[in-house]
Parts: sequence; C-alpha cells; structure tokens
Amino acid sequence: MAEAGKEPLVRLEGLCKSYDAQVAVERFDLTIAKGEFVVLLGPSGSGKTTVLSMLGGFTEPSEGRVLIEGVDVTGLPPAKRPTATVFQDYALFPHMSVRANVGFGLAMRKVGKSERDARAEEVLKLVGLEGFGSRRVHQLSGGQRQRVALARAIAVKPAVLLLDEPLGALDLALRRQMQEELVHIQKRLGTSFVHVTHDQEEAMSVADTIVVMNKGRVEDRGAPARIYRRPASLFTATFMGENNILPAKLAARSGDELTLETVLGRFLLGNSKDLAGLQAGATLHIALRPEQIFPAATAPEDAVPLGQAALAELVFQGTHWRAHAKAGPGGKVPLLLRLPPELAPAVGQSLDLYARPQDMTALTH
Amino acid sequence: MSARRLFAILYLLLALGFIFLPVVMLVQYSFQDGLVPVPPFRGFSLRWYDAFLANDRLIHAMGNSTLVAIASSAVATALGFLAAYGMARRKRRLNLWLQLLLMAPIAVSYLIIAMGLLIVFNWLGISRSLLAVGIGHVVINLPLCFAIVYSQLGEHQANIERAAHDLGASDLKALLLITVPMLWPALLAGFLIAATLSWDEFVIAFLLSKFEVTMPVMIWSMLRSGLNPALNAAGTIVFAISILFVILIELLQARSRRHG
Repeated sequence: MAEAGKEPLVRLEGLCKSYDAQVAVERFDLTIAKGEFVVLLGPSGSGKTTVLSMLGGFTEPSEGRVLIEGVDVTGLPPAKRPTATVFQDYALFPHMSVRANVGFGLAMRKVGKSERDARAEEVLKLVGLEGFGSRRVHQLSGGQRQRVALARAIAVKPAVLLLDEPLGALDLALRRQMQEELVHIQKRLGTSFVHVTHDQEEAMSVADTIVVMNKGRVEDRGAPARIYRRPASLFTATFMGENNILPAKLAARSGDELTLETVLGRFLLGNSKDLAGLQAGATLHIALRPEQIFPAATAPEDAVPLGQAALAELVFQGTHWRAHAKAGPGGKVPLLLRLPPELAPAVGQSLDLYARPQDMTALTH
Repeated sequence: MSARRLFAILYLLLALGFIFLPVVMLVQYSFQDGLVPVPPFRGFSLRWYDAFLANDRLIHAMGNSTLVAIASSAVATALGFLAAYGMARRKRRLNLWLQLLLMAPIAVSYLIIAMGLLIVFNWLGISRSLLAVGIGHVVINLPLCFAIVYSQLGEHQANIERAAHDLGASDLKALLLITVPMLWPALLAGFLIAATLSWDEFVIAFLLSKFEVTMPVMIWSMLRSGLNPALNAAGTIVFAISILFVILIELLQARSRRHG
C-alpha cells in the first residue's frame, strides 16, 4: 500500500464499463503502489480482463478515471500510456526475429539500432533467453514465446506491466516455474505488475495483493494469506480453494463475541467486528477449510467437537486423504475433509471430528 | 488386389482422363511435326513454337494479358485487403450485409457481369479497352481476395496489432510494419489466384475489349480461321503459366502451414 499522503503509482477511480445493457465492471476502485504485484482474480465474466484492458487503454471506461503517476490517462490511447501488456496469446510479431520483437517498442521511440539490440539482449538475458535474439518466433516453444512476450513488454521500461492470463497456455510444471520466475523478475525490476488470472493457486503464488472479482464487482482484496484464511465473502471463501460452508444462526452476542448455532453445534467466535450490526436471530454462514477439521487423533487441545461423520468417499493425494463425509443428525451435512496421510481411513467408517472456533469465519453474504 | 480396389483405381484413372485428356491432346499436338494438329501424331517438333514466337499478334496479346493480370490482381488485392481490414477491425451491425454484398459477384455469371459493365462503361463514356477488361477482372477477383485476407484476420491478429499500438506504434506504422507483413502470405496468395483467373479469362475479356485484346481472345479469333498448331503452342504456354501460378500458390500454402 502507498504511504499516507503520497500519490500511489496507479489510481483507478469508480471505473464502470457496460456493453449495451450488460454491465461488465461496476464502480471499480484500486490503488497500486510502486513495486506492488497485484493479481485480479475471478472466474470468466467477472470483469477482471476488462479492468486490465481499461488500465492499458484498449477499452474506454463508461465512467470513472485512470490515473498513472498522478496523470489522468483515461482518454489516452495505449501508445501514450506508461503501460505495457503481455497478451494471453503472446501476440508476438510472426514475421520478425526475437530481437526485433523485443526491440520494437524502442524502435517506435526512435532509439538507434545498436542501443536497441543491446537492450534487447539485456532483457532476453533477464527472462532466460540469452542468445535467442536471431531466432524466428515460429522456432520457439510455448514457454519461450511467453518469455519473449514478457521481454518485449519489459524492454520499454513501463511504469506498470499488465499481464493478461499470461501462463494460461502453459502446462502445469512450466506454469509453476514461470510463476516463480515472474516474481523474481518483478522484484528485480521493481516495476508494478498487474496480473489477471482465474487460477487461485497462481494468484497466491505471485501476488502481494489479490483483488477477488465476481460479476464486475470487487468481492475482496488483500494479502493472499488473509484472503485465504479470512475471506470477506461467501464467494471468496468458495472461490479461493476448497471450503465448507455451514448455515448458522446468531444465537447471542456479547461485545465482539458471537455465539453461533449450527446443526453441528454451538460455537463461540471472537474477532468479528465486520458483523457489528448483526442482531440475535440473524442468519449467516460459517466457512471452515477442509484442513481445519481434525479427527480425534490429531485434534488440537482448543478444538471443539463437531460430532460424528461417516466417510463416503476417499482419495489419497499424497499430502493428505481428501474425503467426503456426512455429518450432523441423519448425516445430512456434507463435509469435505483433509485427513492426515498416516491415518488409514476406510469408506463407511465413522470419525469424531473437531475444529477450532478461531479457524471459523462468519460470513453474511 | 481386391475388385473394390481395382474399381477405385479405374474410376480414378477415368476421372483424371476425362479432366486432363483435352489438355494432354493440346500439349501433345503443339509438338506435332505436320501441318494439322489432328491424329495421327507424326513426331516431335518445336516448329509451332517458332511460329508462335514469330507471330507478333500473339506475342503482343500475351503482353496485354500479362499487363491486365498483374494490374487487375494488384488492384483487387489492395481493395480486398482494405475491405477485409476495415470490416475485421471495426465491428458494425452492417458487417454481415456488407460481406454478402462483397461476395455476391462470385455468384453472378461472367456474362452478366460483362454485360452490366458494358452498359455502365457506355454510360460513363469508357470505351471497350484493356482498361475496361482490367476493371472487369477486378470486379470478379475482388471477392476472392477479400475472402482470403478476411479469413486471416482473427482475434489473434487483432491482438498482434494491439501489441504494436501498446508498444507505441501509430496506426500507420502498425499497418505498414505489422499488419501488411504479417498478412503477406495471404496477400500474395490472393494476388496469385486473381492473376491465374485473370490470365485465361475469356468472356469478360472478349466482351469488354476491342482493338487491344488479351491472349485467350486472340486465340479465339485466330481459331475462327481454322485449326492451327501454332495456336496449340500458344494454348500450351497459357496453360503452362497458369500451372506455374498454381504451383506457386501451393508452395505458399505449404510454407504457411509449416510456419503455423
């Protein structure tokens, strides 16, 4: 986050975009500090790509302003903005060499050939493609093309680098590797990155700040750990990894402490300032991660019982057993569990389950 | 060999024979060592190629054909490119109708197009000439050039242009440095197909020309005074050049497939 009183690098104010009657983005605000790695995370149709496109100048907002380095660039075309984009399909120039691709932005800025080539070589080295300058685009693998696209955008030293699902076309192993490299490159350059993805694991591995979007609105924003552990909405709770959602009723409150009534028992939750306005009797939900539900053998001391659950399905996944269980009276509450790998559970087996109230997140929407 | 396979091979040979026998005959009898291009074949000779090369009218007509083919194809390719580019980059509701209108000449017979052009040219005061033939060939080839270029302008190409703009290119620079070179194979393919079709087109060339005529029209008018082996030689050359264009187009396509 930007220091108080200092203008942030990027400020998006009340951005709206609608196509005909369809609203793509609704009153979107965001500030990006210098050197911050921001990820816009959401399912397809959530408006994340539209926000990126308005930041890059490819889409004109219906309302709102885009400020970069304190300058209002809302009406400026992409060529006049201090942004550079890495496109999902890389959009490399197919008829040019790698060196000419990387040097293109500098050529447009009237930089001389020798200086351009030197800069291209420097940037190619940064992305791990030293010596690839004279290759043609069609001779490169998908991963290499991705790096060239990154190098081409970095070469013009943008104030903000925009990445539109840049790793979407790569296979899993390569994607993981590129995620790490992206972070290294970003930290080395100190450039702000805005990265769009629908992959929550990717978001967590690269972001300083995640902005969760759904249906054109911001659902949640913050550091990855906070968003995962304390999601601000039901959507975030289920979109960021797997979660169990239990319907609950507010039975009583005293100060910040809430007593919640569910079919699995009564739980006393603290630390819930967001729910200050809630009256007793209100309905809400509790989010509880699969790995935060314990069998008796590994339950921490401060865990409270959730009752018995019967295991319905089991899959061994190396670090844990992923299990579907039926809990509550009559087995009507489905629960997703991650049981320790050293346990030898069996389908049909009944387990006593426990969870810690401080792991539970109470959510109203 | 099974009967089924035998039948398939026979069928193929018959079909190929039906398609190519007239051309084979034409080519063979252009080498006829005799005064008339009819069977029996009397032996191999290049005398009719000598006769063809010595015939100023035929050589001149071939020059006219070349001029019309190159000029009309260049214009058709340029106009087809601009139409395709404009339609691909500016999405409008009218696009579908525009596309139908642009493609319509393909469904109209050359005879009708030629008659229509005659009426229009008459009205505009353009006399029957090579220029008129060239305009006619632009009319019939523009839809092809448009379709070939339009098929190569997808969302990926749009992103490539966006990338150029993003890196600071003006509209003109993006067009000249990125779009045109990127579409070069499609533009060349359009040009070559248009040139092939213009090169041996007869109906429009016949109806829209007067004193200066193209090669097919010249061959036709000379045929009226009887079969002449020199015309077989001329026809063979027309055919050979068409084949050359087709081979070039095939090579081009093989190349762009390789480069994906």
